[in-house]
Amino acid sequence: MLLNPETQRQGFEAAVRQYGEQLYWQVRKIVLTHDDADDVVQNAFLKAWNALDSFEGDSKVFTWLSRIAINEALDLLRKNKRRMTVSEDEYSVASSLLADPYFDGTETEALLQEAITQLPDVQRTVFQLRYFDEMKYSDISQMLGTTEGSLKASYHIAVKKISEFFKLRD
Amino acid sequence: MEEEKYISDKLGRRNPFTVPEGYFEQLTTKVMEQIPERRQKARRVWLRPVWWAAAAVCALFVSTAAWLVIPNESQQPQGHVAEVIQQSQPDDAFFDEAADYMMLDNQDIYACLASAEY
Repeated sequence: MLLNPETQRQGFEAAVRQYGEQLYWQVRKIVLTHDDADDVVQNAFLKAWNALDSFEGDSKVFTWLSRIAINEALDLLRKNKRRMTVSEDEYSVASSLLADPYFDGTETEALLQEAITQLPDVQRTVFQLRYFDEMKYSDISQMLGTTEGSLKASYHIAVKKISEFFKLRD
Repeated sequence: MEEEKYISDKLGRRNPFTVPEGYFEQLTTKVMEQIPERRQKARRVWLRPVWWAAAAVCALFVSTAAWLVIPNESQQPQGHVAEVIQQSQPDDAFFDEAADYMMLDNQDIYACLASAEY
């Protein structure tokens, strides 16, 4: 349906309905706040619509949409980092989350998110997709355009850093 | 991986994030409201007669130039014609000149040639 110009809009709406929630959660775990995730998801779908002609059906629709959404999320992280003032740093992430009405976690879960924000952006994304979503490396590889070997190495380093973060606090 | 077991035992894998009530039910509508209608089809239809006219003139120009340049075996090139042959340019240059003359750029030509509708 997406490849046929006559049914594209219908097909696209079906894709939004089918994958919207899943994409939202992928993005939310990267950008953390609901407002940012909402913006990113909507921008991602708009970009996907405008780039529909470049979708040749050679990958799954969800993989293609994820790639766009994750890139949008990472772009937002980069923009936010450039806007960050000296007084704002990763150590306020846990307290910001605990004050967020759309965060339902414990202090430990907030600290986990803080530890994750200290990772480089792509490593952070790999960790979120593998640890929380339990995605296969082959699927993450298609999404991020990185080899499975690099992903495994990246995840292993991320896990080590996070466990060290908590062991220091134990 | 030992460290992964340490993290999952200590922290679990629960998703601690929530959304406003009804958010996902409204998401599709919100997204589709922002999606513009596709306009490529109308654009192609509008350009089609212009493109065909331009292509026809371009073909005439190229064939005339080629007729002047390609040497005729039964005749010895003489005078002005000989000069043109000696100064003959590669074919690509004629296409470039024709495209410049018609003020079409290559991308427009390739896009029309690649269009499934033709």
